[in-house]
Amino acid sequence: MSYARPENLVETDWVAEHLNDASVRIIESDEDPLLYAVGHIPGAAQVDWFSALQHPLRRDFLTREKFEETLSSLGIANDTTVVFYGDKSNWFACYALWLFQYYGHQNVRIMNGGRLKWEKENRPLVKEIPSYGKTTYHAKEADQSIRAFRDEVLKQSNAKKPLVDVRSPKEYSGELISMPNYPQEGATRGGHIPGAVSIPWATAVNEADSTFKTPDELRALYEGKNIKADGEVIAYCRIGERSSLTWFVLKYLLGYPNVKNYDGSWTEWGNLVDAPIEK
Amino acid sequence: MSLPPNLQEIVDDFASMTREEKLETLIGYAESFPPLPERYKEQREHMEAVPECMTPVFLVAEKQPDETILFYFDIPPQSPTVRGLASILHDGLNGSTLGEILSVPADFYLPMNLQEAVSQQRLNGFMGTLAHMKHAAVHAQSV
Repeated sequence: MSYARPENLVETDWVAEHLNDASVRIIESDEDPLLYAVGHIPGAAQVDWFSALQHPLRRDFLTREKFEETLSSLGIANDTTVVFYGDKSNWFACYALWLFQYYGHQNVRIMNGGRLKWEKENRPLVKEIPSYGKTTYHAKEADQSIRAFRDEVLKQSNAKKPLVDVRSPKEYSGELISMPNYPQEGATRGGHIPGAVSIPWATAVNEADSTFKTPDELRALYEGKNIKADGEVIAYCRIGERSSLTWFVLKYLLGYPNVKNYDGSWTEWGNLVDAPIEK
Repeated sequence: MSLPPNLQEIVDDFASMTREEKLETLIGYAESFPPLPERYKEQREHMEAVPECMTPVFLVAEKQPDETILFYFDIPPQSPTVRGLASILHDGLNGSTLGEILSVPADFYLPMNLQEAVSQQRLNGFMGTLAHMKHAAVHAQSV
């Protein structure tokens, strides 16, 4: 068995061969925002999930107009192939990819293994910040079919439809949220959304080189917990970053037609008045 | 309450920087991150873990004969932001007395305006590191 949509995953070899391909833009999105400055793939741009992709005031993404400005300044045209990679097994790379899809950019890929694999293969990393010719990018209306909001999540939970909690087991059980010294961190209540099954995001990747597990392993992992292709699936974590990796796996690697990421995630649900919680 | 002079200087420096200067300075701190002494390698069980950081962070404090405290950190190079922030605390507090370290308020960093450069979650890790440094410094008294 192969991945459902193999065109959305490229290997490090492919990226190395396309460093000078004008139709390809390589984007680094990291959990650690300084990593790019320390060294990045030659020609790659940085898109920081926090400073580049969030709305400056509201808890939301940047507006469609700002997204267009950002992509134009990165020299991305509507038909550019955008390849994302990053640290921490590509979790923020998947977040950036999800957001690009949200505003309609179709031609998106993840570099399998991310930064870790590239580094392990001793491939070049440079400090030079590239500049790109400005383009005029036209974003589409936000695609709400890949983003879940709280009311919908409540309906999903009440209807006992599939919900995947991708946080660590201790966050799922409610043991972890109010860590010492951090009253403001995260949520006022611990636990998970009723009916959600626990499938930590990292179980989808190989620890040694950050690559995704094989199609058979992935299918066994999710189907084994009754998360199947015929259902409408919603994934969540704490702020929606780890669950965008799970979203990518379900949608592109396993080909589930109907998967949404709930970016409000636990920092919304665990603070929401009257929201049902299970422990 | 006043901060140890080295820490106060760092706070004042950051307060006057633009966002870009803050990021560059943080990279500088990450690059000058002090290596873990040989004697602590393979000794993580004797070091204090900082679970508030998403990155594995370990630290240890040593009391000197003159009662001042020295800190040592173990943080992977793949996490320059965490290294940079820990390096600030290291440079700001190394060689201070226990009393000076314990009197650093948890929100001492607010004038640095770091939130314009790094996410709140990281600042939580920063505060967590300070709290664990205080704990380790107290522990070093009884060793």
